Amino acid sequence: MAFINYLIHLGILIGIYTILVVSLNFAVGFTGLLNLGHVGFFGIGAYVSALLAVSGVPLWLAILGGVIAAGIAGVILAIPTARLKGDYLALATLGFTFIMGSVARNWTDVTRGALGIPGIPRLAADNVVVLAIVGVLAVISCFIFRRVGQSRFGRACQALRDDELAAKMLGKNTFAHKIGAMGLSAAFAGLGGALFAHYITFIDPSIFGFGDLILLFSALIVGGLASVRGSWVGTVVLLLLPEPLRFIGFPSSVLGPAREMIFALLLLLILLYRPKGLFGEVDLS
Amino acid sequence: MIRVQKVSKHFGGVYAVEDCSMDIKEGIITSIIGPNGAGKTTLFNMICGIVSVDSGHIFIDGKNVTGLPAYRIARRGVSRTFQQAHLFKNMTVRDNLRAARETSDVELSKVLAKVHFPLGLDVRASDLSYGQTRLVEIARALLKTHKVLMLDEPTAGVNPKVRHELREILLNLKKEGNTIVLIEHDMEFVMGISDEVIVMAQGAVLTRGSPSKVQSDKRVLEAYLGK
Amino acid sequence: MSSIAAQLILNGIIAGAIYALVASGFSLIYSIGKFMHFAHGAVLAVGAYMMYTFAVVLHWNFYLSIILAVLASMCAGQLMNLTVYRPLRKRKASSAVLLIASISAMTFVNALILLAWGADVKSIPVTNPVFEVLGARITLVQVCIIGVSMILLACLWFLMKRTTLGKAMRAVADNKEVAQTVGINPEWIYSQTFLIGSFLAGVAGVLIGIEQNLYPQMGVQLAIKGFTGAIIGSLSSVPGSVLGSFILGLVENIGIWYLPSGYKDAIAFVLLFIFLLFKPSGLLGVKAREA
Repeated sequence: MAFINYLIHLGILIGIYTILVVSLNFAVGFTGLLNLGHVGFFGIGAYVSALLAVSGVPLWLAILGGVIAAGIAGVILAIPTARLKGDYLALATLGFTFIMGSVARNWTDVTRGALGIPGIPRLAADNVVVLAIVGVLAVISCFIFRRVGQSRFGRACQALRDDELAAKMLGKNTFAHKIGAMGLSAAFAGLGGALFAHYITFIDPSIFGFGDLILLFSALIVGGLASVRGSWVGTVVLLLLPEPLRFIGFPSSVLGPAREMIFALLLLLILLYRPKGLFGEVDLS
Repeated sequence: MIRVQKVSKHFGGVYAVEDCSMDIKEGIITSIIGPNGAGKTTLFNMICGIVSVDSGHIFIDGKNVTGLPAYRIARRGVSRTFQQAHLFKNMTVRDNLRAARETSDVELSKVLAKVHFPLGLDVRASDLSYGQTRLVEIARALLKTHKVLMLDEPTAGVNPKVRHELREILLNLKKEGNTIVLIEHDMEFVMGISDEVIVMAQGAVLTRGSPSKVQSDKRVLEAYLGK
Repeated sequence: MSSIAAQLILNGIIAGAIYALVASGFSLIYSIGKFMHFAHGAVLAVGAYMMYTFAVVLHWNFYLSIILAVLASMCAGQLMNLTVYRPLRKRKASSAVLLIASISAMTFVNALILLAWGADVKSIPVTNPVFEVLGARITLVQVCIIGVSMILLACLWFLMKRTTLGKAMRAVADNKEVAQTVGINPEWIYSQTFLIGSFLAGVAGVLIGIEQNLYPQMGVQLAIKGFTGAIIGSLSSVPGSVLGSFILGLVENIGIWYLPSGYKDAIAFVLLFIFLLFKPSGLLGVKAREA
């Protein structure tokens, strides 16, 4: 019985992280924006949704609020960072994540700082229902990103990824495309964050940390950039890979860092030996 | 078609283009030549909106385009190729072309035939030879709705056969009514194909005229030899 | 009032001195290796934790521990260079890939530290007399921080400007291909760069370990401060990054007079963000030429 619950728990996490990775893929893999702020959007979605719900807003409105807040943050972040290239963009977006973490820790009147927000309303009483909800949303997200990737907008984003100058000379407003891509990607990250908050029922500033960032990027690159299928496969691989450690009986204080080490190592190996990942069309550059 | 009026651009303390003015006439092939550092590519970049203009104005088809972002100028009818071909390397030839215009494979193949491109639509851009990438880039520039074609050193690094084909291609395009501006270093190519030659040196126009007039102008030789 | 001002300024200088040690190594590696070695922070953490291990756990001689800890940092940095960055360089990886690899390496080392030493905060006890200077209090360790930092930065300056190695390093920074044509081996230069940079980070780690506390995230914290300082001054200029670091140290410490102290780190992040958006080349940097 406990094992079924464990599987359901894993399934829910896979669903949530799939939404995160497939949206990250749109910004990084399709549009070429090395966005390390995704964790920041995830956190914004989680906090906004949690705070709204805890203060009485109906659950699905709260989640919508989280999605919209994250999307707006994405647009706002995209505007000044649009002209930054590669590693500078990465650094600026990473800075954004740190700033969000700092706000979460220090704006104690609203976020309760390091104490976090407990007692967040659940998505549903029964975890099986939660799994169903998250699963459906994950599938829908994948569908949406596949369609967008193949759309005119998506193809223009890919063009700007490959060669921004050429894309401009073909009449494409690359600035607008970048904003759209980041906004869309951020909104779904917010969705993932909101679902996470309403599943775990407790969040604190640690969700703005590095562990999730490495997990997301590992899943992204293992699965392959610019491939929706790669995103969910990568997520499954990354979330399942460290699980055997749990059965060997390591305490959770070991499991946490051990998982991070596995993610980091896997990412390094993939970058070294198979940068396109499993299904990627493109590699990071 | 294109009017450049007293345009200047400096980088750091150096003037790449200084007080440069020229008119590019419609329906003919104009070549811009000059020694290295004369400012030709910078001028091109300014016309296309990739580089900002420090002073002066640029008009395309009578409308002032100074200061417009590159994609707006592209939409106004400027099609441009680069010294290093800027293809979308992760895409196929087909997708590269479709980025310029969403049209059928039949239409795409027609344009590829026009530039004598030997391979098919499914080839990945990263698999093409240098000369082939230039051809695809020209094809893509053609597909995009344009009033003027600006080609930056189209013959650089290509073998004589491709160069000969390019000559034919450009002459055919002119016959179809295209306005073409080239930056070129290959004198033989320039003199054989151009209706008008503009010589730039030290950031400004030195002289202009028919190929034979320019060829016999002593100052042009001096500019190249650095007197 | 003035003694509070003096204290804040002094604190700013002390912080700036530490950041400068981190930033100068980071900037050295960036200007020569052309990528952001985020894991520099992990190298620093290794130095701090090894110092703790040698001096506190094993009770070895204090000064010997310092030397060994710094050596450990140099090994850690060089190991990263050889096992992660060099193979990626061989594959012509872009600086973006190297940055991601660096973040991975940093995460890996951080997690390793967490596993090996635990999450609890540690400290390295020293006798630490306090002095009064111009109405402000300063400890012996803090005096050492400023002193060591000044000396090492001066040595670095001398190395870069006056020695053959320094000239070779600047050649590679300027143009790797051309440097090769005059017989310089870029990989060897990268090795030296990592050794020197990691040395500086190791010293910084040891100093911070002694002056403050050790905690597993310290590497990340200081990496961020270090490269914020470098960005403020100029990422590709070592003197610039030193200047930027002192500016950061001062702004941080004067800033928390007005803001709740929890926001101290936020000041660094916001400065980082603002500079990246509006002046990525830093105060001393040259704006890159357009297309």
